[in-house]
Amino acid sequence: MQDSFDVIVVGSGAGGAPIAHRLVQAGHNVLVVDKGPLLRPHYEVPGERSDFRRDEIYASSTEKILHVPGLANTGVSYYSSHVEPDINDEPHVYKGPDGRDYGTIEGYTAQVVGGGTQLYGAVSLRFTPTDLRLKSFNDNRRKPIAHDPNGDIRREARDWPIDYRALEPYYVMAEEMVGINGTRENQQKPFSAVKYQKPLAPNPISSYAHDGMVELGKRLGPGIAPYRTPLAVITEDHPWSGRQIPRNAKGEPDPEAGKTSYVNRYGDPLGLKSSTWVALLSPIKDKPNFAIWPNCVVTHVVSEGAKVTGVRLLDPGGVERFVKAEIVVVACSAIESVRLLKLSAMADAEFDRRINRNPLLGRYFLTHCFGGARALMPKRFDKSKALDADWATDCCATEEFLEENGLWAGAAIYNNTSDQALPLSLFRTYGSQDLDTLWNGFMGATDMRGDRFIDFLDAEFGRGLSISFMANQVPQFDNRIELHPQIEDKWGRPVAYVIKGWHEHDRYLMDVMAKQCGDVLRYGGDPVGHDYQIEGQGSIYMAENALARMANHILGGARFGSDPNDSVLDPQCRVWEFDNLYVTDGAFMPTSGGANPTLTIQANSFRVADHLLTRI
Amino acid sequence: MAVRIFEPGDDYVLNHCTKYLSRAGLPPAPGDDARNESFRARIAEAWRFPIIGFMRDADADPDLNLVTFVYKTSPGDPRQVQVLGTFSELYRSISLAPVRFEDQDTGYRALSVGIPKAQVHTYKYVVDGRYVLDPINPQRVILGNGRPWSRFFTDGYLQPLVLEPWEIRLLYRLVEQILPFRGKEAENFLKRYYFGLNREQRKTDMPKAFRLDDSVGEVNAIDKFLAREEAHRLADYQLCLRQIDRALRRQNPVLEPADMPAQDFVELYEKMAKSHGSGDNPIPGWNYDEYGNPSFFLYILRRHAVTAAFAHPKYAGNVGAAGWAYLSERYSDPAAGTLFDWRPAIERPIGTSAYYR
Repeated sequence: MQDSFDVIVVGSGAGGAPIAHRLVQAGHNVLVVDKGPLLRPHYEVPGERSDFRRDEIYASSTEKILHVPGLANTGVSYYSSHVEPDINDEPHVYKGPDGRDYGTIEGYTAQVVGGGTQLYGAVSLRFTPTDLRLKSFNDNRRKPIAHDPNGDIRREARDWPIDYRALEPYYVMAEEMVGINGTRENQQKPFSAVKYQKPLAPNPISSYAHDGMVELGKRLGPGIAPYRTPLAVITEDHPWSGRQIPRNAKGEPDPEAGKTSYVNRYGDPLGLKSSTWVALLSPIKDKPNFAIWPNCVVTHVVSEGAKVTGVRLLDPGGVERFVKAEIVVVACSAIESVRLLKLSAMADAEFDRRINRNPLLGRYFLTHCFGGARALMPKRFDKSKALDADWATDCCATEEFLEENGLWAGAAIYNNTSDQALPLSLFRTYGSQDLDTLWNGFMGATDMRGDRFIDFLDAEFGRGLSISFMANQVPQFDNRIELHPQIEDKWGRPVAYVIKGWHEHDRYLMDVMAKQCGDVLRYGGDPVGHDYQIEGQGSIYMAENALARMANHILGGARFGSDPNDSVLDPQCRVWEFDNLYVTDGAFMPTSGGANPTLTIQANSFRVADHLLTRI
Repeated sequence: MAVRIFEPGDDYVLNHCTKYLSRAGLPPAPGDDARNESFRARIAEAWRFPIIGFMRDADADPDLNLVTFVYKTSPGDPRQVQVLGTFSELYRSISLAPVRFEDQDTGYRALSVGIPKAQVHTYKYVVDGRYVLDPINPQRVILGNGRPWSRFFTDGYLQPLVLEPWEIRLLYRLVEQILPFRGKEAENFLKRYYFGLNREQRKTDMPKAFRLDDSVGEVNAIDKFLAREEAHRLADYQLCLRQIDRALRRQNPVLEPADMPAQDFVELYEKMAKSHGSGDNPIPGWNYDEYGNPSFFLYILRRHAVTAAFAHPKYAGNVGAAGWAYLSERYSDPAAGTLFDWRPAIERPIGTSAYYR
């Protein structure tokens, strides 16, 4: 067993894989460790039968019961993906509004090689330049910020230590190397190059979203029009990763093969969805200077003074091993990365002193303000022929919109095409708000039976359309990740404890953005009167378990910055007090951005990889 | 009966077992039943063992499942571990091989065999000559000689495993109050659908459909969920079906419950939906000391019924994908054709995907 590498990367998802890819291509000796299994696409498996299946029970399982003692919701049912950890084994605990502790499935990005990119809806939006300079923007704005009576936003907002121009080349790199389809026109962000693959024709139900977004753009002022949502799904052969579009009987590429609605929350058996395994790690898997160890749990980062010497891990058989490295990159998703650093600090006083030189590790934990609107559209369509989001608009991300509405930050708005497209997803998400409450609505709707069951299907099947927004959450010192004082995982280690709340301005922002999403449907569903009846609009702060909700966008907790007293990481994502320890998942973000975070995490990791290449 | 042994590789085994079995501490020694039970109860998804997978080799028989037995011990344990089961000759146990990671023993011992679909089998491990139940798999069955054996079943098994015949008859009648497949229109559809299947599918699926009383097989799939993934809900069914039988007899003393007209079931369904406890719209004949919340059982049943009817056919409901086909036929457009064209996404022979197997 090899026990020494140039670089060890903990986590194989969006934060880790770009670094591993670049460093291995440059000839360095890299080990990637992941807690989850390595499940492969069909072309890497004998018999071409992938372990990812188009099976709705793979996305949300049969019933499991939370058994962890001492939680307020012990005994509740939950339904997790086959690549999420079982929360009885490794619960995430959050503090509820009543002050009691609850277990939740929210906040895991998946436990599998590829991490959250195996499960995500593949939305790959860039952040706007304003997203990276929210302190400057709000310090210099013309009109006041609404619903911020104590001036928290001006005090807590941070500019990123790098600006959009510094990140932009890496967006280009990520868009090209990961494999993303989309359109550049109408995006309110500068592009130095366009590397998108061509998007497929949208699902026809999305035309309502398109038309509504056009109308919304006109009404908000400068007439910003929608664009095709960038999605990490290849639609053409992808030379960077060697992936090919399936060929039909005539030998022609058949990119439509990917449009199945088994995309969001599914690993892709065909490997068309650009998970970090198929896009970045599989292409280097046979290189002699690359090793990947799935099914291994890193338990500690080990250091001597300011130098990290390696990691301790449990191999698949549970045997503890020490593996040496010149550089360690921690990228196992924000909650788990913070937890790993805190567990390492518990085991070593010097590590503790260095990592906790200021009180910021785990603090300023962020997710997104998100929500949207839903309607049953006038016509029925075959929603099972979709990737996921078809159209997006930046009309609620402009500085003019933020000034007019007293908002501190903007949002991307896009439509979800594949939600409730498949039969079980229609039933299990009926009346439920999130992953913790799947099935509850349908189970309790006991009058929906027989003819009324058919009435429900007649009304809903193929007709639902939802519009989502994704917006920055106000950073707050008290929103944080800790180690839980009592509850341990199956290895006997304290689990992560999530303590977070919504700022008054977050609630206001979500109301404003949900209204825009509702308007997209009102305008799009009724091209004449622009007053289509919608089912509802809302945001996560209204949910029963609003404090647990994360959309699996788990960010912050080890923010980067230019001031060692105000950040955990330096501008290169190096832990300030260590020479060779880096954190590159979403934990580095000082603000959460007005869009889904994965592309930005990938772009930043490519940036950090370039930095690492200058020092090893 | 010779069983075919396959070698999907150590990576296959580790990628399918580590997430569930890796944890602090080692399994207790065989024979210490209490400690073994406590160990097994802490494994969150112990029902996943043995691993019922699909054949991976391109030329392998598609009518087989790849069944992988996994036994966990400490790395370096020199004891021989074998499995003895009804899937092979009962006089010949087969050895499990050590599973290695980076040339090191992991402590896992594994064996993969090809076993025909739609079968049930019993087995035991033989550890250094001593017969032991599978310490992980919770499925157990007491055989005629009174001895417990471990049990597993392969995809699409059609005989009841955990529900009694009278429970199944009652369950059919309850489920038909929820799902739309027993109306005249739907029944006509199902008959047309099953007769319209291609030859290959008709050979395999039509007998299943008719054995399953013209339904899409929901009750059979529920029996399988209760036997494996949701064994924790079997007690709810056993307790409630007894109460339901009693309440129906109270409602209609003339007929056997399974023979009662639909109206009797509707009436009881409505009563159950309104009764959350003994003090809340109590149902005559229902013993609330035995099962306190009739509406809660309805919730479980509703989720199970709809899951069984619309999940992938491998779960033994949705026979021949009739549940999907029902939606596909009901929702169509004269110009565009069906508005639920599920076939191109799904593997053959159920679907028509040219790429996904």
